[in-house]
Amino acid sequence: MFFIYLAILAVVLALTVWVLFDTKKLSLQVTAAMVIVPLLLRLLMIK
Amino acid sequence: MSQEFWLFILMVGVFAAGCFALKWPVSVSMLLASVAGALAGGVQDPIRHLVEGTFGYVDTIMTIATAMMFMTGFRDSGALEALTAAVIKKFHKLPGILTVLLTFVIMVPGMITGSSTASVLTSGAVVAPMFMSMGMSAVDSGALISIAAILGMIAPPVNIPAMIIGGGIDMPYVGFELPLILLTFPLAIVFALWFGWRKVKKGDHSAMLSKLDFSTLNKYGGLRLFSPLIFIFVLMILDKAVPRIFSLGMPLIFILGTALTWIAGKRFNILKSAKKSIEDVMPVLGILVGVGMFIQIMTATGVRGFIVVNALSVPPALLYLMIAISIPLFGAISAFGSASVLGVPFMLALLSQDQIIAAAALSLIASLGDFMPPTALAAIFGAQVVGLEKYGGVLKKLIIPGIIIVVYAILFIVFSKQIRAIL
Amino acid sequence: MQKHTITAIICLAGALVASAIAGASFLSMRTPDIIVRGPGVTEVKMLSDWFPGIKGTAGDTEVYVMKGADDGESMLVLGGTHPNEPSGHLSAILLIENAIPKTGTLYVIPRANNSGFTVNDPQEGSPQSYTIQTPSGPRWFRYGSRATNPIDQWPDPNVYIHASSGQTLSGSETRNLNRGYPGRPDGTLTEKVCYGIVQLIKQQNVTITVDLHEASPEYPVINAIVAHPKAMQLASDTVLGLEMQDIKISLEPSPVNLRGLSHRELGDFTDTLPLLMETANASQGRLRGRTDAALVLTGKDKWYVRAAKLGRLYVPYDEKGHPIEERVGRHVTAIGEILNSWNLENPDKPIEIENLPGYEDLQTKGVGAYLLPIPAK
Repeated sequence: MFFIYLAILAVVLALTVWVLFDTKKLSLQVTAAMVIVPLLLRLLMIK
Repeated sequence: MSQEFWLFILMVGVFAAGCFALKWPVSVSMLLASVAGALAGGVQDPIRHLVEGTFGYVDTIMTIATAMMFMTGFRDSGALEALTAAVIKKFHKLPGILTVLLTFVIMVPGMITGSSTASVLTSGAVVAPMFMSMGMSAVDSGALISIAAILGMIAPPVNIPAMIIGGGIDMPYVGFELPLILLTFPLAIVFALWFGWRKVKKGDHSAMLSKLDFSTLNKYGGLRLFSPLIFIFVLMILDKAVPRIFSLGMPLIFILGTALTWIAGKRFNILKSAKKSIEDVMPVLGILVGVGMFIQIMTATGVRGFIVVNALSVPPALLYLMIAISIPLFGAISAFGSASVLGVPFMLALLSQDQIIAAAALSLIASLGDFMPPTALAAIFGAQVVGLEKYGGVLKKLIIPGIIIVVYAILFIVFSKQIRAIL
Repeated sequence: MQKHTITAIICLAGALVASAIAGASFLSMRTPDIIVRGPGVTEVKMLSDWFPGIKGTAGDTEVYVMKGADDGESMLVLGGTHPNEPSGHLSAILLIENAIPKTGTLYVIPRANNSGFTVNDPQEGSPQSYTIQTPSGPRWFRYGSRATNPIDQWPDPNVYIHASSGQTLSGSETRNLNRGYPGRPDGTLTEKVCYGIVQLIKQQNVTITVDLHEASPEYPVINAIVAHPKAMQLASDTVLGLEMQDIKISLEPSPVNLRGLSHRELGDFTDTLPLLMETANASQGRLRGRTDAALVLTGKDKWYVRAAKLGRLYVPYDEKGHPIEERVGRHVTAIGEILNSWNLENPDKPIEIENLPGYEDLQTKGVGAYLLPIPAK
């Protein structure tokens, strides 16, 4: 189950990065960057 | 005034300035308020603290993101519109009963999962167009959906705030069912009729029926089209009923449901649909991340203790008033957080009452945190599923119901022993 | 390159920098504090020696075996069941570095939830460590999370169901070691660690098990000893013995309907006499002010002083706080008193341990006086 959840998390992270590069709104980009941090650290199994 | 008081003013001030004066998004304002608090409060290792706070919401982020993916997929497959058409056609002659029944339907995912977001984004989103085609305004529909969602979160069998409050005083989550039913279902009926009854009756049925589009329903058939919804409901129930075998968890259930929407109805680009859903929900995810930082800095600097001890400082006569005000207000950062940070100390002050009924009532008050900006998850998503850009209108409609809910819950605490005698 | 792509790259770079700085800090939590082998330590084993199912996992943890010259009964001391309750962890370390068993065997697990020592709870603002001055220089110790690191056990279910009783608790309790007993060999990592501890108790025939905890000052069970019915006599003798030394401690029976806790399940599922002890720790409480290493060590907190005046606490609280010397002193002294009580009732099968730091000595000399120098590598 752990790795299934990491995979789901990877999907959410990938979509977040896609939104970051696709949107033209700076506010959404900053928000996406904030969301990326915890998702990335969990995906790398650091925290 | 203590240092904590000024830090609190600084953090709230930076947040308000960013949010209202400079029109920055809530997430960014929260981030800056937290940074200001960390620097002014002399927090060591500030970046570690800011990032650590966000981890309180990683699981919530996954649930919300996947729920949103599911709902977007369900809509893009044409199933949402078709389901509305089918239900309205069948039940349009009994609008009052239908409103109450649909309110109960909205509650179900919250009852099973303990999450108001699950309610709003699944059954809430399904019911929203039904409410509106029955003649309710978007704002009223959004408000009723938000209310049903928080009542669903509190209704048994799963009530996480009650578990959190119970956990804080070593009270097992046993014997809560009946008090929680009495706390939630009467309110659900009252508010369903409040928002729905008069407006729904006035609707012109023939015009409403002629507007419905049955083409998708006729092409794919109800069973196939609605199978993703049935599928996730079945999985949620299995998760609750036989947790030792299933225990998939909501994010996985929603991901499986999303995959099913892709093959069940109209063809759509699942990647673009998923990306659109994350884009729509990004502000909310950002708020959670920002709030996580905010709480961590409040805790590290002692502002949290300042708030809690001051809430507990009132004379006994005003204790109920303080409960009524402070728990929903603190819920502005999270309903579950409020249940833990304030719900537990208040519960300890209420040990002379019937503890189960008091904890159940406190959990209902804590649930109102999901109406409280800036997080206001139930209200934000309530507005989103009825297609409103801003949730301010929905929020205004929630003020009086919110007060009624608080008063009802406080009465349960005050008369807990008498209520226990009847039960 | 378009403007929004440039801003996207800048935002992503910012996220990566923040992740790198915070990530390095989080990774540093995996370095454990150093525990020095005292004169009484005869062997350091791993919990996986009793339950191989946790070998190589983050849950596997050191078991210090301290065997007396004469055979006898045995005692197991659990420190760090909750790694955010430092007096339990430190008291266990003081036993390891000082105690010298004469008769019988002392087993000490200083990091019962080893995984919990590698992380802090989000939104609690906890320090990652605290430092104690010793005659040979400063020594630092880890301040961890109440529960198992999510990296080692994730995701939590919505609702935690205690395996052997079916009792339900909030989902995050799945990672709470003291809700997982008696554990399962095929359960979660937390349940496996519980199972390992139960195996140790069964295979070594451990006579008495003491689980060392701390509680928030607003929590009713505090400065207390919680006992399983079959350990009630031992516990009440201990309470009397502590009263003689002017240490007030309340005696609580283990609640029958609260499952998964050491004082309940170890008594029901093994032959050991289980006891659990609590001291007052402001740094884990909900009413605390500024949260840092100083609070962990001194317990000085103005909001708790105020809450005490409001009658909201279950321990006395004034400007002096509840320093670590007092909390560790209570635990270590109580352990000595448990042994005295046992030996009085069971002169034919004693457990005799010498060189335990005394309560008054700890108050005057400090905890650091009983911590050994770290040997050069």
